[in-house]
Amino acid sequence: MPTSTNLFLRVVSFLCPRRWDWLLLALYAVGFALAHWVAGFWGGRGFYSLWFPAAGLRLALLWRAGPRLLPWVALVELASDAASGLLWFGMPDLAMAVFGVVRPVLAYGLTVAVIRWLAGGTRANVLIAPMPFGLATFFAPFVAALFALPQALYLPELTGVRGAREVVESLAAFTVGDLLGVLSVGPPVLWIGDLVTGRDSPPKPPPPAAALEASLVLGAALAAGNLLQQIGLGDATTLTLLAVVWIGMRFGRGAAWIAIALTLLLTLHRSAGALSTGDRLVLHLHLASLAVVGYLAGSFAEAQRRARRDLERRDRLLFQAERLKTLRAMSVAVIHEISQPLSTLAIEARHLHAITRDADPEVAASSALIDRKATTLAGLVRRLRRFGGRAADEPSPLPVAALIESVAALAAPEAKAAGVALSIAPIDPDLVVLGQEVELAQAIINLLRNAIQACEDGRVELKVSREASRARIVVANRCTGTPHVAEGMGVGTHIARAILEAHGGTLVRERLSNVMRATVTLPRFGEAV
Amino acid sequence: MTDKGPVYVVDDDADLGASVARLLRRHGFAAEAFLDPAMLLRFYSEAPAACIVTDVMMGDLDGFGLADAIRAIDPAAAIIFMTAWPTTANAVDSVRRYGGLDYLEKPIDEDRLVAAVEEGVEWASRRRSALARTRALTPRERQVFDLLVKGHSNKVVAGLLGLSPKTVEDHRAAVLAKTGANGLAQLIALAL
Repeated sequence: MPTSTNLFLRVVSFLCPRRWDWLLLALYAVGFALAHWVAGFWGGRGFYSLWFPAAGLRLALLWRAGPRLLPWVALVELASDAASGLLWFGMPDLAMAVFGVVRPVLAYGLTVAVIRWLAGGTRANVLIAPMPFGLATFFAPFVAALFALPQALYLPELTGVRGAREVVESLAAFTVGDLLGVLSVGPPVLWIGDLVTGRDSPPKPPPPAAALEASLVLGAALAAGNLLQQIGLGDATTLTLLAVVWIGMRFGRGAAWIAIALTLLLTLHRSAGALSTGDRLVLHLHLASLAVVGYLAGSFAEAQRRARRDLERRDRLLFQAERLKTLRAMSVAVIHEISQPLSTLAIEARHLHAITRDADPEVAASSALIDRKATTLAGLVRRLRRFGGRAADEPSPLPVAALIESVAALAAPEAKAAGVALSIAPIDPDLVVLGQEVELAQAIINLLRNAIQACEDGRVELKVSREASRARIVVANRCTGTPHVAEGMGVGTHIARAILEAHGGTLVRERLSNVMRATVTLPRFGEAV
Repeated sequence: MTDKGPVYVVDDDADLGASVARLLRRHGFAAEAFLDPAMLLRFYSEAPAACIVTDVMMGDLDGFGLADAIRAIDPAAAIIFMTAWPTTANAVDSVRRYGGLDYLEKPIDEDRLVAAVEEGVEWASRRRSALARTRALTPRERQVFDLLVKGHSNKVVAGLLGLSPKTVEDHRAAVLAKTGANGLAQLIALAL
């Protein structure tokens, strides 16, 4: 059937790696093999390692590339294991061994997919970035352990463990190893990836006071822990945990991760091979909790900061709206006050013009001029009143040409003041959209205003064209350097976008070499939306 | 040219009222400006208007209140509203509820104002003569008239009023004679 073939092709083209994916997968293959080899030093019976950094690489890759690469990640891991001699053809239970490799990849992919789904849209308030990734670092290892549970319960001999105690030990070690591996390697790998692809900007050096505070806290905790251990009071990693949480809460993810990495650096080498499995498991469990809690604290602090920034921005928008409301009330009052005497003026001017037609040419010319100006002014006041009026008019069919004409009239003084020529291409008079004239005019004025402010060569162009079922309005201006973002400019675009979207339209702003272009599309009147 | 009217212009802006009145006078209307609607109402019954041009937003009594007061004493005056605060709701009300002939936005479109006043004066004179012709009817004749113009036959009218068809026929003839109408169609036109 053609549809199923179609579907098949679409699935294949979706899963097929794209240009950069090949590079990513190659890097992943190298990284995975290396990390896998390093992890061997923290190995034990019934589990591979108590520190499994390869898991961090895996999570970072799946997080950035999405579960799309899942089959390829599994293939790379299989190949890597085969190359290092952990898998070979003809080995007993090959199928189970392959499944054992693929299983955690599936678990990680699933966790990433679920968390991304939860964080998308407005489903959960906690999931403000960077919380989702923080949660993924925490959940992925547990989901992987959960996936391993059936095999551990029914076919324990495959991993070479005997008895319930060893099964639990193996699962715990697996989880702890993955947790530590994910948290120690995942965040920096992801960060480096973002730096390379330009998603993130290079870090600024931390303020000295912050660096000092963080080092003091961490140093004191490490020293105190060490002291307690020296006098035989056991391992006091809890103190370090408190320090890491402190640092995370105060300075965010980056600082938290550095503190975690330092702690691991100072501790991990002690546990490689030397301690008993039990002691090692306890130590690593401590370290894993420290890493999880510290990193989540950092993520939470950053999410909080971001939420507060969003709130501040919204507040600013509100102030702006409030100011606009006052301004509107004022302008309505002013228009009213003007229209009253202007009525008289226009009537008398017209009369004067009529009775002086045959008088002295000087008088006739003057009165004609006064009449013309009064008439223009009366028209302007009527138009302005429509714009500032309080009646919330119903959406009505609007010829785009008329809309742009009133917009141009309103934007003209501003353009003139900025020394910018507004060039408007002729507009198809049959192009009609449905909407509230005042709101749509406001949206387009905002775009024009942005263009006028950012314009470099004194020219702003506005073009209207017809598409299949939509009208398209393009505002373009030249800009070569970095666009200087004026205060309040974002607000104007924001409002324009909100208005256009409420009318079933779209707004796309894009930079094409040296032209800044804002493209608006609106559904044409009479066409199905 | 005899002046058409009278036309009363009511606006709490003295200059504008005077200006509009002067404009209308130039177009052959006997126009007069009033600053206060209450003053107009005090002497209105002595000199009823053909047409009233009134501002909507005024002090104590606004344009709509004035329209109601005028309608109560004179159903034959045409009323035109003008306003500096136009709203769709007021525009609809002015025509539907207050029997306005037009609703003009300030600054005023002169041609439209003059055309509206022209129409108003004509309408008022037609209305006034129709009212004059039905004024002479007795109460009983008036009842018969009211039912006839609704399209009821003599028989039905007789039944409704508890009269004999013969009496109704007499009343009908009296109504036609007094109003000078020569048939039901003209009677209906008078009632409109």
